[in-house]
Amino acid sequence: MSKSKVSARRRWRESGLALAMLAPSGVILGMFVIYPLVKAIFLGRQRCGVTSCRTTSWHQYVDAFRSNEFQDALIVTLKYALITVPIGLVLGVGLAVLADKYIKGVGIFRTIFSSTVATSVAVASVMWFFLLNPNIGVVADWLGGVAKTPGLLQSPDTALWAVSASSIWANLGFTFIVVTAGLQSVPKDLYESAYVDGANGFTRFTNVTLPMISPVLLFVTVVLTARAFEGFGEIDLLTSGGPKAKTTTLTYLAYGKGLPTSGDDGLRATVTVLLFFVLLILALFQFRGLEKRVHYGN
Amino acid sequence: MTGTIRSTGRTRRDRHNRWAIPLLVVGGVLAAGCRSNESLSNAGIDRKPPVTTQPAATVPTPPPTSAAPPVTLAPGETLPPGETLPPATTAPQTTPTTATTMPPPTTVPTLLDALPKCDTTALDASSGTVDITFWHALSNVNGDTLQKLTDQYNASQTKVHVNLEFQGGYDENIDKYLQSDTGNRPDMVQMPEYMVQQMVDTKSLVPTQACAESAGTDLSQFLPSALEAYATQGVQWSMPFNVSVPVLFFLKPTFVRAGLDPDNPPQTLDDLLAASKQIVSSGAATYSVALDSDFDGGGGWYVEQWLAKGGNFYADNENGRAAPATRVLYDEAPGVGLLTYLKQLVDEGGAVYVGDNASGTDTLLKLADATAPAAMAVSTSASLGPVFAALGGGLIPGITADDVGVGFMPGPNGGLGALVGGASLYIVDKGNDAKAAAAWDFITYLDSAQSQSQFTADTGYIPLRQDALDLDPIKSKYASDARYKVAYDQLLGSADAPTSLGPVIGPLEQVRKVTAAAVADVLTGGDPQTALSKAAQAADDLIANYALANGG
Amino acid sequence: MATSSAGRAAIDQIHGARRVGRYALLTVTAVIVLFPIYVMVVGAFKPGDKLFDNLLLPNHFTFDTLKDAWHDGHLGRALVNSAVVSVVITLAQLITSVLAAYAFVFLKFPGRTVVFVIFIATLLVPLEATLTVNRRTMQSLGWINSYRGLTVPFLATAFGIFMIRQVFLTIPKEMREAASMDGLGHIGFLREVAVPLSRPTIGALGLFAFLTSWNQYLWPVLITTDQDYNTVQTGLKALKQASLDQPNLVIAGTVIVALPIFVMLISFQRQLVRGLTAGAVKG
Repeated sequence: MSKSKVSARRRWRESGLALAMLAPSGVILGMFVIYPLVKAIFLGRQRCGVTSCRTTSWHQYVDAFRSNEFQDALIVTLKYALITVPIGLVLGVGLAVLADKYIKGVGIFRTIFSSTVATSVAVASVMWFFLLNPNIGVVADWLGGVAKTPGLLQSPDTALWAVSASSIWANLGFTFIVVTAGLQSVPKDLYESAYVDGANGFTRFTNVTLPMISPVLLFVTVVLTARAFEGFGEIDLLTSGGPKAKTTTLTYLAYGKGLPTSGDDGLRATVTVLLFFVLLILALFQFRGLEKRVHYGN
Repeated sequence: MTGTIRSTGRTRRDRHNRWAIPLLVVGGVLAAGCRSNESLSNAGIDRKPPVTTQPAATVPTPPPTSAAPPVTLAPGETLPPGETLPPATTAPQTTPTTATTMPPPTTVPTLLDALPKCDTTALDASSGTVDITFWHALSNVNGDTLQKLTDQYNASQTKVHVNLEFQGGYDENIDKYLQSDTGNRPDMVQMPEYMVQQMVDTKSLVPTQACAESAGTDLSQFLPSALEAYATQGVQWSMPFNVSVPVLFFLKPTFVRAGLDPDNPPQTLDDLLAASKQIVSSGAATYSVALDSDFDGGGGWYVEQWLAKGGNFYADNENGRAAPATRVLYDEAPGVGLLTYLKQLVDEGGAVYVGDNASGTDTLLKLADATAPAAMAVSTSASLGPVFAALGGGLIPGITADDVGVGFMPGPNGGLGALVGGASLYIVDKGNDAKAAAAWDFITYLDSAQSQSQFTADTGYIPLRQDALDLDPIKSKYASDARYKVAYDQLLGSADAPTSLGPVIGPLEQVRKVTAAAVADVLTGGDPQTALSKAAQAADDLIANYALANGG
Repeated sequence: MATSSAGRAAIDQIHGARRVGRYALLTVTAVIVLFPIYVMVVGAFKPGDKLFDNLLLPNHFTFDTLKDAWHDGHLGRALVNSAVVSVVITLAQLITSVLAAYAFVFLKFPGRTVVFVIFIATLLVPLEATLTVNRRTMQSLGWINSYRGLTVPFLATAFGIFMIRQVFLTIPKEMREAASMDGLGHIGFLREVAVPLSRPTIGALGLFAFLTSWNQYLWPVLITTDQDYNTVQTGLKALKQASLDQPNLVIAGTVIVALPIFVMLISFQRQLVRGLTAGAVKG
């Protein structure tokens, strides 16, 4: 039997098996991710009332993109991501590095630092809502000033930062766990040789640790950014998009209360499809821009 | 194999990256430079912008009305800011008129004829038990009380069995109902007061008027304001169930310290300003009134309340009840006067702005602030129970539940009159006469005098019918603590005029939100006319877009 | 190449003043991180009217608040629902991800790369973009208020496929060849070799899947109209609708809802870290 005939036959047999193995995921993903997205793209050019929808035009996408609310929400979302991702990353790395030494009891600290991963968005937001309340929360009494009147969540200048704080705290556990795993996989002899070469702690960190954990950092950045862009629960529970729409992100614009999208599935689809494209472009930039910094060595 | 520390072989990647930066810049410029200054609500709509709002000083033409004019202002006349009215002297109408006070539709043929019918005899005619589902949004104590009433009803007869389904909150309930098709809908649903027009437009209802007429139900004991709130275009669409109105909460010890009478809280806006100044200047409290810009509170709903108390319309076409509204009217003199007053209250009267009030409790909690408290706050009467409970537990050191005073929500010329808040009960048209009849039977039970007495005694809501007050438990409750009756008296005193019924607008929640933005603007230093004109423009757009989307 | 965590390189030891300093820093940061949780736990054990008495000190103690929160939030039923839904989703995601990842790594078929890219592209689609249409689908299928509605859209995930594929890629070709010489077909290889070797990552994926589905918020709200089908998150949201006099119930509910995950986290922490070492670190 010729080699090509054998491999051709094997290829087709494997295709059958491959189809069987891919079918479960494929059907689910197709029906509940791809199909809705495609449908949403077409729904996005309709405006819906209480009982029916009218088709307007593809121009609806342009109108929506250029509208005040969308542009504002885009800026808020970008700001939110720019606050939560770098700070979350720095804090997570900082804590991981802090807890990376073999001293007695470090396990307890590690558990504490990971614990926020147990809090869901709803839980974390409710916690922070009570903490930041200017009348009954403790933070207000300690900080005074804006924290007291009108309150960190109520002042247009600080609201987004306050929501970010809640989000950063909630994601700290996740970042800590992943970065710790990355740190533990750095070969110790790299440090040894750097030490022997005369590098001090800081230089060891920048020349050895950072490059070696860069794949992990990329992973965390991607996840944190996605969470920032898709953040809804924390805004819904903490500020309802206010004050003065300063915490209305794109997702909140699509699903929040009292907004032009309320009750209008068509307009909602428009905004969420636009969000998808924004994420797409962002993902492209992230991978292009950041991937070159990532060291895949071994 | 550890290899080099820094990554190698970047040349090929560099070539790909070369277009990343310029693309980013171009993208940024495009995104920044292409803001259209239009609202999202206009996306995709090709419509000539509506005629812009009238200039500030014009007096709106008095709307045609057959009812008696309210207390001291003729409809359409405005209260110039800063001037005071002679104190309100007229007594509240204590004898309510009969239920047939709906404005007779003059030119429109009876809408009721075109709507689904209701045959209440179908219930007796059916054999066996009729099962109906009721979607509601009442939680905790309110929900428990409703459950109790439902259980009593189910146990008391075998014709109808009601399945209560709690949906979470008003928002979830609305979402689910609007997104369901006929098969998934319940037989009865509770909807908040701002949903009237949208419910009408779902074309999914059996109007309760049809059932009331078929059964010959006596509605004479119902408070007209509560009933008519849910009537528009000549049809009674739903029946009120849980009724609340805003009232003024204040701390009596603070009043005493300021030299004010704790049994006589201010009722006119001018009195409120004077009392506020006195509280602050005497040092009795840091702030006088806590103001918010919640769209369900100070920013939206209360604006409607204040305009109604002053005898002004909020929207055209008699607040959207004679015919669907086409625009809002609050950017004219009455509205501007109102917001100018609020600004004055902050600037001169020591009022404090607590923000958007996303939690719904910030104004009340400001009274409990240990270091910089306010003395007064407007909040819904439904908060009475919770406030007393919280204070009874020592929320404010040194203050007990008895120290809280309750008064009418002050208005331009007195505190009497209020728009109903809360929710109403709708019968869903499922093409089944027996179910519609069953739903009507349950509604009459929930709205009966005894049920209302029970319901309002356990929750903070107000009885929607007069004869409920003669029955225990509410009778004893009002007798033992008159503060609970204040909300009822305020509602009872509503003038018999079209302006006393709130606006019926399709996108009312969204309109409230843009109004709230204007209030927030003014309370932080903005100019009332500018803020209101901008809000009115946005509101008019919302109304027009709604009409377009709903076959208007 | 993971370093055994038992090895203590000289570089990792610190002594004396530096050690004390390190402890101090760790304690301070731990206090900050733990602070919100501490306040919540303290509050959960306080009777309702004493909640604001002193937010920091547990000067009153009662189980009543927790009992009331449990009852009012119907948290018992909600916990059962969440458990069922999360377990089903986790198992399903593991199975579908392992199968699909195997196909992408060990099977050759035309268009493999293209299909893989399409699968991975679904990672970019935000959940919100699919919600409305999915809800309508659920409606037409009659799956509102059902376990099916809560679970079926999440039985597969591109994230899982990606993770398992990463670890399958590290299995040397020689093993596959050796196995086929031993007479193991694909299914046999999958069962006897690939899965056992990837157990840490599969465990980590399982943990993440469980966590994510436990914490889901928006979808359960849309898909249930019957309170009996509330998950813990929607039950918590319903509890939050509580008015002014019940914030302690909300706090207690929060603690109850977070507790199972916290217990799981402590029990499985080592596995989680090991799995991530294999999955996420291998760029």
